[in-house]
Amino acid sequence: MTALEKALSEFNEVEHASRGGSLLHRLDARGKTIVTLIYIIAVLSVSLDAFQGIVIFWIFPIIACAMGGISYGEVFRKSLYTLPFIAFIGIFNPVFQREPMLVAGGVTISKGWVEFVSILLRGLLSVQIVLVLIMSTGFYRVCRGLSRMGVPSVFTTQLLLVYRYIYVLVEEAIDMDRARKSRSYGRKGYGFGMWGTFVGQLLIRTVARAQRIHLAMLSRGFTGELHSLVKSRWRMRDTVFVAVSAMLFAACRLIDMSVIF
Amino acid sequence: MADALVSPAVAGVAAAVSVTLLAVSAHKVKSSATENLVPLMGVMGAFVFAAQMINFTIPGTGSSGHIVGGILLGALLGPWAAFLTLASVLVVQCLIFADGGLMALGCNLLNMGVCSTLIAYPFIYRPIAGGGEKTWRVIVAAIVASVVGLELGALLVTAETELSGVTALPTREFLGLMTSIHFFIGIGEGIATAAVLYFVKLYQPSLLAGYRNMTGTHAGGYKRAAWIFLGIALVLGVAFTWIASAYPDGLEWSISKITGSADLPGAGAAVASTIASVQKSTSFLPDYESTWSGIIGCGVVVALVWVVCALLTKKKHPANG
Repeated sequence: MTALEKALSEFNEVEHASRGGSLLHRLDARGKTIVTLIYIIAVLSVSLDAFQGIVIFWIFPIIACAMGGISYGEVFRKSLYTLPFIAFIGIFNPVFQREPMLVAGGVTISKGWVEFVSILLRGLLSVQIVLVLIMSTGFYRVCRGLSRMGVPSVFTTQLLLVYRYIYVLVEEAIDMDRARKSRSYGRKGYGFGMWGTFVGQLLIRTVARAQRIHLAMLSRGFTGELHSLVKSRWRMRDTVFVAVSAMLFAACRLIDMSVIF
Repeated sequence: MADALVSPAVAGVAAAVSVTLLAVSAHKVKSSATENLVPLMGVMGAFVFAAQMINFTIPGTGSSGHIVGGILLGALLGPWAAFLTLASVLVVQCLIFADGGLMALGCNLLNMGVCSTLIAYPFIYRPIAGGGEKTWRVIVAAIVASVVGLELGALLVTAETELSGVTALPTREFLGLMTSIHFFIGIGEGIATAAVLYFVKLYQPSLLAGYRNMTGTHAGGYKRAAWIFLGIALVLGVAFTWIASAYPDGLEWSISKITGSADLPGAGAAVASTIASVQKSTSFLPDYESTWSGIIGCGVVVALVWVVCALLTKKKHPANG
């Protein structure tokens, strides 16, 4: 099944990228999460018709990728997946807002089209920065960071368990799907009945496996919390990183770009 | 829901609400959990994630769809654990696949998590499905709850987007678009959920939350209470129209007291006169003196309530004892 295999390879890509040793990788997960949130708030607070105000924020995912040795092309490609839904909602702006706003080479561009492009850009940038965060930090360290920032441990443990089990389960589903395909003589797709049986079967297998794993974990002293060997301490460089980033975002947000260019 | 479509203020409010609900769920799960619920939740989250990747074909259209899984998780884990589990799936999707976005995560937790696991499951699925003994009830419950959950989600998406002021699409058109699309998605989700639940019920019914939580709630007691409630509602409804019709001017009187004038402007007056004409046509005791009709009316109501309660409880007592 292409969707399942694709999902697995996406996970592997993120996991692979997060094992780098760049400066961005070595920063504390909490600091990076905070900076990511500030960036998104800054981008989303730019008004829709201030097009140049949003464009300037494009530099940050590019800079962050360069800092972390991550391919920006890869991040850009992944961020495109979210476009269809955003475009579906955004396309109504050109329909309803027709007053002219810009003239470029004799062509008048309406307010709606400017807003439409702004919406697309907001979507791409806010998603790209999250991808940079996860690709430079890894899912485990983001979860640990969240738990040290006060997110209940029941939830962070849950997140880590889900993340681990996804590998197991997606592989199991791929196996089952392959077995089914090899016996179905070219018939494609699942009707509701077939789908129910397939997914129900996956569920029952899953639970049986989970019970075995849980017993194994209990016998090794699992008390409900997952521990990590990776110790991360908040250093001076994290403070500098958060402070400098916040100031840069504020500057980009507050300075009117049309005055400079 | 996506980052591009929300404003920081709306995202902030949604995040605050969903984080609070997450904390409540975490507390509930921690305090009430049977020992292996947390690992089971972990594996169920991964299961829903995998199940979302397996598409079913929609008959007659040639296209295919996938489930969100809120009702399915509810039926397997109960509402609070289901919400935590679905939330973790949404977080993984948001971080790894950039699905939605970090800012819109709070909105998405509400739209997809809360609507199905904390509203549609306990208030629609559970009452219809009951203990899960009857297959047809489980199927109907899954379909109705899925449609309601998704429609609520569509309503919230519309509200969030419109409040953010990003789209120029008028609220009414947007709402119509979203609710009609989600009606069909909901039916698909419901049938798929029912198909899985049917299989599980057939081969391993102990997995269903309804079976685990059978703590001996007395079905007879519940039914009797429902009958009493219905009976009283009926009696009071009839009695109220009766008494109200005995005071044809009561409504106008109370309105003039509130507004300081007996005249109601525009539509209000039309409504009042309609009500008055209805009252006149239904009145039983128009010629009695008002004090007497009030006393008689109230006395009849009390007597009727008493009779209904006595009849219903008397009927059920020998069966129970």
